[in-house]
Amino acid sequence: MKVRNHWTKLLLSLTTVTIIVASTQPLLAEDKKELSKAEQGRAIAFDRKKGNCLACHVMGDGEMPGNIAPPLIVMKARYPDKAKLRAQVWDATVKNPNTAMPPFGRHQILSEKEIDAVVEYVYGL
Amino acid sequence: MKNKLLITLLASLVMSANVALAESAKDIIASAETAQKKAASVGGEWRDVGKFIKAAKTALKNGDKKKATKLAKKALQQSKDGYSQAMRQAEVALELPAYMKK
Amino acid sequence: MNKKFKTIVLAITYSLIITSTNLQADVANDIERFQGYLMKKFPDISKQDFADGVYAIDKSSRESWEEIEEFPPYEIQIDDGKVMWDSKFANGKSYADCFKDGPAVAAQYPRWDKEKSMVITLPLAINNCLKANGEKPLKYKKGKINDILSYMTFESRGQTTNVKVPSDDPKALEAYNKGKHFWLARRGQLNLSCAACHAQNAGNKIRSEILSPALGQTTHFPAYRSKWGTVGTLHRRFSGCNKQVRAKPFKAQGEEYRNLEYFLTAMSNGIKLNGPGARK
Repeated sequence: MKVRNHWTKLLLSLTTVTIIVASTQPLLAEDKKELSKAEQGRAIAFDRKKGNCLACHVMGDGEMPGNIAPPLIVMKARYPDKAKLRAQVWDATVKNPNTAMPPFGRHQILSEKEIDAVVEYVYGL
Repeated sequence: MKNKLLITLLASLVMSANVALAESAKDIIASAETAQKKAASVGGEWRDVGKFIKAAKTALKNGDKKKATKLAKKALQQSKDGYSQAMRQAEVALELPAYMKK
Repeated sequence: MNKKFKTIVLAITYSLIITSTNLQADVANDIERFQGYLMKKFPDISKQDFADGVYAIDKSSRESWEEIEEFPPYEIQIDDGKVMWDSKFANGKSYADCFKDGPAVAAQYPRWDKEKSMVITLPLAINNCLKANGEKPLKYKKGKINDILSYMTFESRGQTTNVKVPSDDPKALEAYNKGKHFWLARRGQLNLSCAACHAQNAGNKIRSEILSPALGQTTHFPAYRSKWGTVGTLHRRFSGCNKQVRAKPFKAQGEEYRNLEYFLTAMSNGIKLNGPGARK
């Protein structure tokens, strides 16, 4: 009789914990929705340890940009096909084998999600 | 009686999954170390590989198999990329580039 | 080193040797192209000016650099280095017994040593001297090596860079070519080569820092760097650069960096030494 009670208690507490954890998920997701994809992309692009795009590119309101690479402006006109812009970020050596641009996708410098966000931001410049 | 059986079954499933994860993490760490040595042998080791492997071992020791696997996979992939980078460069980076003319 | 990789490099190197009629012509050709490219990029400065790095090509930073040079931050190291030079080892000998020409010998390095079949650099020669006299060798990036180097380098100011790749030993050209390959090869997660920044993009700005041209880079080491807050060696700088492109750095005074120094210094042949230098 005693043993049965213990097992039931364990089952009950496991279930309760699961319900509590599951119910907090929507709250966490909502925090992320605060920043738009493009805003997330800007943060990643400007982060020295992530995109560090300002090292070489003039772009948006970024401060102290380098001048190694073309300024990122009128991007929709220069890259009407967003996928081509993404491909350039993913691996710029495909279009230009002599490029100084790191292959952010091929070398996993940024994750696929981070690249999506950066492209979203850059495409709007 | 039924409850006891159910929970025993669940527990053993969880335990065996844990063991499988732990073994998998250890294997991946070992693979990463092999790949690290291979990349190093051609001068193609990347900066953070050693750090990731060390952190993976620590995570495994602390029982965080998920973290250990994630870090080990990173180290493994970066080692592979560093190796192929070095092998490719051995073929193409031998003469001053064309833009360096007399 | 991986056998396959070694075989590839050796095969290509030896075929280069077989097909070329004059070993020296390869090196001379490289120097002409290397120097020509960078001098064309910066036509307003002389070849000797390249020894001043970015301060030759950027007027705004040159002024503050010249002010710094009035009370050089490496003076302490030169003075400490002179004390080291003048001091006797435990066995009664001193550096002068190893360096019979005196301290002003920086332009004799790096050089090919046929017997040892390797590139000898000045820091390596210094440690060879210490070891031969029962003294503890110095570390190659930080610490006292920079003192003795600063003194010897300062005494050598004005000497002309004149690296030779002797034609009587194919291994010398092999070491030179390995150094050249290292300089040209992309490395690290960021996939950059020395050439990409210091030739292709020399004079351009990475964030707000100007990339120095590769020509003249070896004339002023050891160098005081504000970032280090002290004087450091050339191989320390190589190591830092490799880390910046997210490559694992190589050992200071190991084969890779000595071969790289061999190639890179040869590319500055004709430029007078002006070390120790002060840099940002």
